[in-house]
Amino acid sequence: MMIPCPHCGDRDVSEFRYGGDASKQRPAHGTGDLKAWHDYVFLFENPKGPHTEYWQHVLGCRRWFKLARNTATNEIGGVVS
Amino acid sequence: MTRFRRLPQGGRIDRAKPVSARFDGKALGGFAGDTLASALLANDQVLIGRSFKYHRPRGLVAAGIEEPNGLFTLGEGATTEPNVAATMVDLVDGLVARTQNAWPSAGFDLMAVNSILSPLFQSGFYYKTFMGPTKGSWMFYEPFIREAAGLGKATGLPDPDRYDMRYAFCDVLVVGSGPAGLAAALTAGRSGARVVLADQDSDFGGSLLSGNDAGHEAWRIACIGELKSLPNAETCARTTVQGLYDGNLAVLVENRSHLRPDARKGEARMLLTQLRAKTIVMATGAIERPLVFSNNDRPGVMLASALRSYTNRFAVAPDKRAVIVTNNDTAYQAALDLATAGVAVTVADHRASVSADILSRAGAKGIAIFPGSGIFDVEGAKGVTRVKLGGAHAVTIECDAVGMAGGWSPVVHLSSHGGIKPKFDEAAAGFVPGGFPASHYGAGAMMGTYGLSAAIAEGSNAGASAASYAGFGKTRPVYAPEHVTDRSYAILPTWAPAYSAKGKAFVDFQSDVTIKDVKIAHQEGYRSVEHLKRYTTLGMGTDQGKTSNINALALMAEYRGITIPEAGTTTFRPPYAPLTMGAIAGRTVGAHFRPVRLSPLHDWHVKNGATFIDAGLWKRAWFYSWAGATPETAYVKEMELVRRGVGLADVSTLGKIDIQGPDAAEFLNRVYVNGFAKLPVGKVRYGVMLNDDGIVLDDGTTARISDNQFYMTTTTAQAGEVMSWLEYLLQCHWTDLNVQVASLTDEWAGMAVSGPKAREALQLAFPAEDLSNDALPYMGCKDFPFEGVTVRLLRMSFSGELAYEVHVAADYAISLWAHILKAAAPTGIKPYGLEALASLRIEKGHVAGLELDHRNTLDDLGLGKMAGKEKDYVGRALRFREDCQSPERWSLVGLELMEPDKKLRGGSILFAATDEIKGHGRGYITSVTWSTELNTFIALGLYKGGLGHEGEEIIAAFPLKNEQARLKIVSPHFIDKEGARLHA
Amino acid sequence: MLERRSALASAKPYVGSTLKIAERPGFTLTQVAGLSPDFETKLSTVVGPLPETVARAQVNDARTLFRLGPGQFWIVGPETDDAAAKLQGQCAVTPLNSSRVRVSLEGAPAREALSRLMPVDLHPSVFTPGGVALTGIHHTPVTVHCAAENAFDIYVMRTFAVTVWEAITDAARLFADRS
Repeated sequence: MMIPCPHCGDRDVSEFRYGGDASKQRPAHGTGDLKAWHDYVFLFENPKGPHTEYWQHVLGCRRWFKLARNTATNEIGGVVS
Repeated sequence: MTRFRRLPQGGRIDRAKPVSARFDGKALGGFAGDTLASALLANDQVLIGRSFKYHRPRGLVAAGIEEPNGLFTLGEGATTEPNVAATMVDLVDGLVARTQNAWPSAGFDLMAVNSILSPLFQSGFYYKTFMGPTKGSWMFYEPFIREAAGLGKATGLPDPDRYDMRYAFCDVLVVGSGPAGLAAALTAGRSGARVVLADQDSDFGGSLLSGNDAGHEAWRIACIGELKSLPNAETCARTTVQGLYDGNLAVLVENRSHLRPDARKGEARMLLTQLRAKTIVMATGAIERPLVFSNNDRPGVMLASALRSYTNRFAVAPDKRAVIVTNNDTAYQAALDLATAGVAVTVADHRASVSADILSRAGAKGIAIFPGSGIFDVEGAKGVTRVKLGGAHAVTIECDAVGMAGGWSPVVHLSSHGGIKPKFDEAAAGFVPGGFPASHYGAGAMMGTYGLSAAIAEGSNAGASAASYAGFGKTRPVYAPEHVTDRSYAILPTWAPAYSAKGKAFVDFQSDVTIKDVKIAHQEGYRSVEHLKRYTTLGMGTDQGKTSNINALALMAEYRGITIPEAGTTTFRPPYAPLTMGAIAGRTVGAHFRPVRLSPLHDWHVKNGATFIDAGLWKRAWFYSWAGATPETAYVKEMELVRRGVGLADVSTLGKIDIQGPDAAEFLNRVYVNGFAKLPVGKVRYGVMLNDDGIVLDDGTTARISDNQFYMTTTTAQAGEVMSWLEYLLQCHWTDLNVQVASLTDEWAGMAVSGPKAREALQLAFPAEDLSNDALPYMGCKDFPFEGVTVRLLRMSFSGELAYEVHVAADYAISLWAHILKAAAPTGIKPYGLEALASLRIEKGHVAGLELDHRNTLDDLGLGKMAGKEKDYVGRALRFREDCQSPERWSLVGLELMEPDKKLRGGSILFAATDEIKGHGRGYITSVTWSTELNTFIALGLYKGGLGHEGEEIIAAFPLKNEQARLKIVSPHFIDKEGARLHA
Repeated sequence: MLERRSALASAKPYVGSTLKIAERPGFTLTQVAGLSPDFETKLSTVVGPLPETVARAQVNDARTLFRLGPGQFWIVGPETDDAAAKLQGQCAVTPLNSSRVRVSLEGAPAREALSRLMPVDLHPSVFTPGGVALTGIHHTPVTVHCAAENAFDIYVMRTFAVTVWEAITDAARLFADRS
């Protein structure tokens, strides 16, 4: 699988680290709402199909970014801002 | 009698270059251009082995990669390679090959008794006999069955050959160099695109290599010549495209065995290429199907295309007469070419009528044709002697060989590696690709386009489209040679004639699966093709059913009364062809198996008697020879050194991170549970981090170097995790914080100076510095120049003694370390290793990696009071969820052994005194050591309810060694609870 | 002055007539990162024009500049370089002189040797002089700089220097002289 690093270009997946679901909003720092954190940390859609996820180019520029990837086909939709 | 012979002329062999190989201990002669298979046939070696289950005599079936029977063991000793298809082995001087699965020889095989016991080996035999109620008997029978059945044996010796790998990139990858592939590669190449043409064969041309038409040959030579002249094209022979993966990654494996590579010179036997192609043209051709009839596995019964290939390409033909049985027109290519080579040919054609054109061309060559006929039975135990026809013409024919022409199966494997199922094409009478992603193309026989001119046109189009997709617009097409007439490839789908005799009729030669096995599978309900495969082992051999799959599923469809597309097909997975494990491992063997990480002090440790231990990727100094020859004796002496004098330990493996920026303090205040906002410059603080889920991520220390700069250390194990985590928070979530982080793990070396004499030692090493308790109190830090280098001194302790860490740029680590040992020699300072380091911290009750196992909360580790009450920090909310607050959680305790004659083991399961010793217990021992202070074994552990049980006597069980010992639960701080030593 | 010691001090040398692989010591490496919007302006005042992308290095006299990502650069200078001192207080400055070992490959087979190590397109028309790849060799992060047509500088993490050196010299065994 090739992943389009926004800085280094298309690179092999072995250069990256997967960072999980990026479709949810992390509660802001200072939020003490237990339910908000519970839902953020533990509840995932786990979709078969289009998905937005975090990746870090650990063997390259070390930048984190959001990537659209189809979990069923591994088709890469590109970097999401 | 002779069945096969070398023709006096013709073929693609070089008669000026004789080759001598060894086969079963005897010389095997041939010519350059021969394969092991063609050389065997040329030497009339028709019987070449025994079948997998029944040990029936077998001969070659094919001339290409689909060969099911002709598997041999190559090489000797450590280079032994079993199960290699003779059709894919170039005959070279020095080649050594052996038959397998026959004892003592293929001609006289004692195991042929299996053939008499054959009812035992029908489909489902293993399952019925050894699974289910009589499961235990499998254990008993397995070694015997494995010995009798099966293929060649691998050697247990390390492989001395070298296997290499490389990464490559191109615009257009063309797989297969038959007419379609050549046309595609050349058309794409003419556009200027970077083209790679790969073919598993030793030469380019695919089916053209087996033909005998001068016009076709001229076209082939011209195409290859032009392609090789292009600087942007690379041609790879003997290179199999084994698999296609996401992102157009193709894995190519080149076999260089024929060059007799010398590993000592770095020459590889196999070269694996991970090729990223912008586009891929598949021109993988088609494989001929056998027909299913009684005794169709007699040596000498082959694919008609194989007979043609041996005759035209290798100049090896049946001695006098061949019978060809067919259900389609393509068999006549073979019949005509064999007749041209002087072989008398009879054709049995399942079809009731044959076209006038064929009748006249065959008649001109003296070929006898029996329409409406097929094979009733084949005779000849160790080689074909006679064929009895059935159907319209029940005649008996003496012959040397039989050719089977059951139609063609497109090689759709690569097109389905991405998950696209092939579809059945009625016109092509076979499965063709079910579709392609945008950057993939197919051409020629693999698409069911069998005619030469149509295949070339399709190939040229595909090459142009692929080049265009890759951004190369302008090209010129490749045209077919003149006067080519594409013939019909229609077949009469007769898979198994009803008039066949009662002998075994094989569907899968390699796995020894007969038509009867398929029937049994059907009767017993294993009707899905996936079940059929697993129940009968059909298609599960090294050939993966390249010749058998379609016949088997056509038969199953017939039994079920459904169509072939309704029956479906099995899933094709990489690798396409058998692959030596070495090719996959490549260079990552031995010392290169994984990266090794070395401390900047490593060379010193090596020269000064350290024994090393692996800690993750690191090699760490475990203990030193001055203290003892074994870790058990050495670490105790090293601990005593630190408790009574002073020791020096390498802590360079700690993660180290530079944190800078106006918001650095706020950032740290968020990631650590305890406060860092008000940490003064020149001070160090111990800190703990949580994950979002409230579970402890890591601990460490952070020093404030200036208002806007901090120096963080992490545990060795979590250094990478923590760095990524900080980057994640800053880049993805806290983008409002103005902070920059940089890893210093490789930049700074660290050494711990520990023990009551630590200050004295350092004062000797750095006489110009004021190291008094007032000038550098506990948890103080300072940078100072020494001999032209900046030294960072941090007063903190892992051992519980008066201690410091000395950090310095890694390039100077060895000279500074040596300087400290030399200057402080009057204190008796010596190095101590990881075992002592880890034991000292157990006595002090410091948690480390074994306790921080990503399952524990702050409170589990007794660190709950550290957390700031007035501030927010990562993990705070979920730290207080109900389960994390339960008093029944397993939490940190100290453990003291009550039985002095016993020893404690890490990982022991903890039970209450009254518990039955069974199951998972109430906790376990995380870390254990001999305590030089208490003169007993002590341990840290996690125990249900934790220190709520302080003072209780419990039991540690180690069931693997059948050991039990009584322990007492105590505070985890075994020494100096008040911390007087730290502040000395 | 304390003695300085390379991480490759005891590594086995590589001897090849067509391909030279050797450590190239004697450089200063400073990582700088922005803490203000005018960071790049301030930086270029001290070190000259900056590389526009991660994929290209900028050579300004004795210094080679690499862009690591948004607002982050490496300054590779001569053995003594005042860039770090001059930039102090203007941005985040992190000296990394000990943290990397520079290994150079030079000679006609250099690209072929490197193609056995890193999953980056090394075709001469693609990876041209001045090109930079932040990628991985033997599972560790490296910065690869195409210094000339067939000359490459690889910046390797110090603690992995020996293992990566061994991986590189093993991959290049085909081009080594036989000892």
